[in-house]
Amino acid sequence: MTPPRGEVLQGTLDLIVLKTLDAMGPLHGYGIAMRIQQVSEDLVKLNQGTLYPALLRLEQRGWINSKWGVSDNNRKAKYYTLTKSGRKQLVTETESWERMASVIGRLIAGAEGT
Amino acid sequence: MLRETLARIAGFFGRRRSLEENLEAELRAHLALAAEDKVRGGMSPEEARRAAWREFGGVEQTKENYREQRGLPFAETLLNDLRYGLRMLGKARGFTVVAILTLAIGIGANTAIFSVVHAVLLAPFPYPNPERLAIVWSVYGLEGRAPAAGPELVYLRDRSRLFEEFGGVWAQSGALTGEREPEQVKVGQVTSNFLSMLSVKPQLGRFFRPEEQGFGAARSIILSDGLWRRRFGGDTQTIGKSVWMNGNSFTIVGVMPANFRIIFPEGSSVPPEMDVYIPFPSDLAKQPADQGYIRVIGRLKQGVTFEQAQSEADEMAAQLRAQFPAFSEEGLKLRVVPLHGDVVRNLRTALLALFSGVGFVLLIACANVANLLLSRASQRQREVTLRIAMGATRGRVIRQLLTESVLLSCIGGAAAVLVGAWALKLLLVLRPQEMERLGTIDLDLTAFGFTLAISVIAGILCGVAPALRATRVNLVESLKEGGRNVPGAKHDSRSALIVCEVALGFVLLIGAGLMMQTFAELMRVNPGFAPDGVLTFHVSAASGKYETPEAATEFFRKLQKNVAGVPGVDSVSVVSHLPFDESLPNWYSYYWAEEASKQEQNTVMADHRSVFPGYFKSIGASFVAGRDFDDFDIKEGRAVVIVDEVVAERAWPDGVAVGRKLNIEHKISTFESGRGGVEVVGVVKHVQSHSLTNRVRGQVYLPYTQAVRPHMSLTVRSNTPPETLVPLLQAEVAKLDKDLPIYNVQPMNAYVEKARRETRFTTALSGALALIALLLACTGIYGVTSYSVQRRTNELGTRMALGAQRSDIFAMVLREGMLPVVVGLTLGLALSFVLTPLMAGLLFGVRASDPVTLAGSGAFLGGVALLACYLPARRAVRVDPLVALRYE
Repeated sequence: MTPPRGEVLQGTLDLIVLKTLDAMGPLHGYGIAMRIQQVSEDLVKLNQGTLYPALLRLEQRGWINSKWGVSDNNRKAKYYTLTKSGRKQLVTETESWERMASVIGRLIAGAEGT
Repeated sequence: MLRETLARIAGFFGRRRSLEENLEAELRAHLALAAEDKVRGGMSPEEARRAAWREFGGVEQTKENYREQRGLPFAETLLNDLRYGLRMLGKARGFTVVAILTLAIGIGANTAIFSVVHAVLLAPFPYPNPERLAIVWSVYGLEGRAPAAGPELVYLRDRSRLFEEFGGVWAQSGALTGEREPEQVKVGQVTSNFLSMLSVKPQLGRFFRPEEQGFGAARSIILSDGLWRRRFGGDTQTIGKSVWMNGNSFTIVGVMPANFRIIFPEGSSVPPEMDVYIPFPSDLAKQPADQGYIRVIGRLKQGVTFEQAQSEADEMAAQLRAQFPAFSEEGLKLRVVPLHGDVVRNLRTALLALFSGVGFVLLIACANVANLLLSRASQRQREVTLRIAMGATRGRVIRQLLTESVLLSCIGGAAAVLVGAWALKLLLVLRPQEMERLGTIDLDLTAFGFTLAISVIAGILCGVAPALRATRVNLVESLKEGGRNVPGAKHDSRSALIVCEVALGFVLLIGAGLMMQTFAELMRVNPGFAPDGVLTFHVSAASGKYETPEAATEFFRKLQKNVAGVPGVDSVSVVSHLPFDESLPNWYSYYWAEEASKQEQNTVMADHRSVFPGYFKSIGASFVAGRDFDDFDIKEGRAVVIVDEVVAERAWPDGVAVGRKLNIEHKISTFESGRGGVEVVGVVKHVQSHSLTNRVRGQVYLPYTQAVRPHMSLTVRSNTPPETLVPLLQAEVAKLDKDLPIYNVQPMNAYVEKARRETRFTTALSGALALIALLLACTGIYGVTSYSVQRRTNELGTRMALGAQRSDIFAMVLREGMLPVVVGLTLGLALSFVLTPLMAGLLFGVRASDPVTLAGSGAFLGGVALLACYLPARRAVRVDPLVALRYE
């Protein structure tokens, strides 16, 4: 039996993509999708198609850049790179995520305590 | 998210094709990479491809989401809807043309009237800080708009704390002489600051300096643009030259800008266009306090309200009364009113009435188009049902339909600009004199903006009901029925529209009916004289030759005698002020019976006119009692006077005026020194002189020798047509003095006509509006009734097959068609009771609630509506039951 796979939490996709690019350097869309599935050990169900509007949005906001390049197996693909302001955004989003996570963690722990 | 917005805008305007290719390539690469990975993992190429697609999710959906992120989805949908809408409109040509025409007329009428309302009521005057300009009237008892005397203006100027400055003007006429032929000009005598209060800077040269005003000052003159071009050929070297006027030499110091006009209230005797301006040549402070002739304007200091200014003026009036016996005797008060408001005060009601009328017309036009759209909505039911069945939300479809109707009304709006421009031109031809003072009116940017705004509003107004209607569908039923409708289901909203159209149209018709009755009444009104066949012109014996009263008298006496000898002339006389001629400052003052008590003395205010014998005969005024002046009165300068019935009744309520003595307050007569009474030798009928509808003031006529003035008008009664007569008259004047020009040559009727112009304007416009409303409402009624007959062919056929009589069917169709009309008439009647009293100020000889007009308009509208229902009803009874049933 496969473990249930969670949907990508609303609003976290940006953070995940930024973090992936930060860790891996320039990547194409398929690479990003693969990486996310790898890291989450297939626990996160990513509809790969949803990645592209998100990538476009991040690019429109100036957090990532895109450039056409050639993949390892000689295919033309669009590569995305984190920009300086994208790195800053990653820091902010990571902090706010952590704050949120700790609040929720404490809430759950408190609820269990009673 | 400025950055994202900019990127989206770039995406919206970017080259669609290359953007799409880019997206396509990226997604293709993704799928290929994924498939390759899977092949390497051991899948067959076909399996790998399918797995890659599955993991990707919907490719088309991704593209759709991507596009939405890339551009401006709102604008893109709008563009699509517009494209689609245009196609749909193109498909239904007949509908489109009718709808656009209807809207173009409705909106265009609004554009035209709005331009006028904007120019007259809303736009500030083209003066510096126009909102702080006030006109200051002197008030004496019933006379609320009197000019100020010299000392009064000086006092205000010196004492006021709340006014920045005061300026004054007095219109006169003068004769320019010199190298060129003599020319009669309008002269504005002004305070040195007057022109700078109303204009930023002259076109050439400078404004007057304070030291140029007053007795003995250097004579300076400023020219109007018109005179400068006409007489000086627009030469920039004109400044510093001198010009001769009334025998004096003046130095030209400036030329006013081309568009400069003095916008003063009607009846203030300050014409909008003067030829030249000179500073007051005498010391205003030393002039007599009982001679008011200056029209005064003031500029309030920043932040001062008109209420504050008025209370200061009240204080100053009290001080003036305390200081000058003349002011206390006459009970001087001052009234401060905004210049703009005072100028447009008589136009406001008419314009607002027309503006609401034109709004009604637009509503009716919208109702008609809504009706058309409703019919179309049922034709398009299938399309709408299909779209909803395919998953479009109701909101999306409503948006699409509204886009279509707004598109329709905007095309109508574009056509409306043409209609509006044309209507405005027509309107300006008819406009009353008061509006003429404000200069030309053009379709400007504000009018375009207004047109756009009401186009959009109209589009939504006429689109909402049909869009809601069309999208309220029962999917299963509609698809099954093949898009056919259950009879009657759509009838409520259509009938409601007819009710509105009829109600609004009825109000318009009543308004127009009242104006027409007013106008007819004005045509019928007896002005107290017979203007037909009387030719008039002005002559100014202003040169030095006529300086003595005797010389001037002799000149006009000879002129009268010579003109009387011209073949075809029945009678001729000379008068100082023609009735309804506002080109000269009016004369009026108090008169009282010699025996009147002190309190009664300042109660009868009357115009006074200087006349030659035969005046009443030449204009066709009739005597109530007594006699006309004769040559003896003129020659001997006898102390006699003729009064009109108004003065006679006020001064001698016992009814006997002839033989009594009248006292004259003002020093207009050569008898003033004696202050003795003047004997009344005749009483004439009142001659309407300022208004056809009101007896503004009574009249007192003095023989010319008692009130000599250089500037007079001739009244020539003759059967000879003016073209033939004018050269003969010119020749007679030239025989006496070749240097004297005659001007303002006009039939007496032209003056009377001017007095009717405001009413004619309102009548013509309200009539046109009512006519449009009537046509639109009838098309609406006809459209709805015939549409319903057409849709019910089957039902009617069945009824007849089952034995219904043709007359029953006929009656039924008529009844159903007329029901909303009757409801509309009732509503309209109720509405008119609220609205018509607001236009009471425009009416004359008819009450706002005139039952004849109400009944007549109602019967007329009802009759036309009946006709509009009759035609479809006749068609209904011609239905052949067999054909009708097969129509299924």
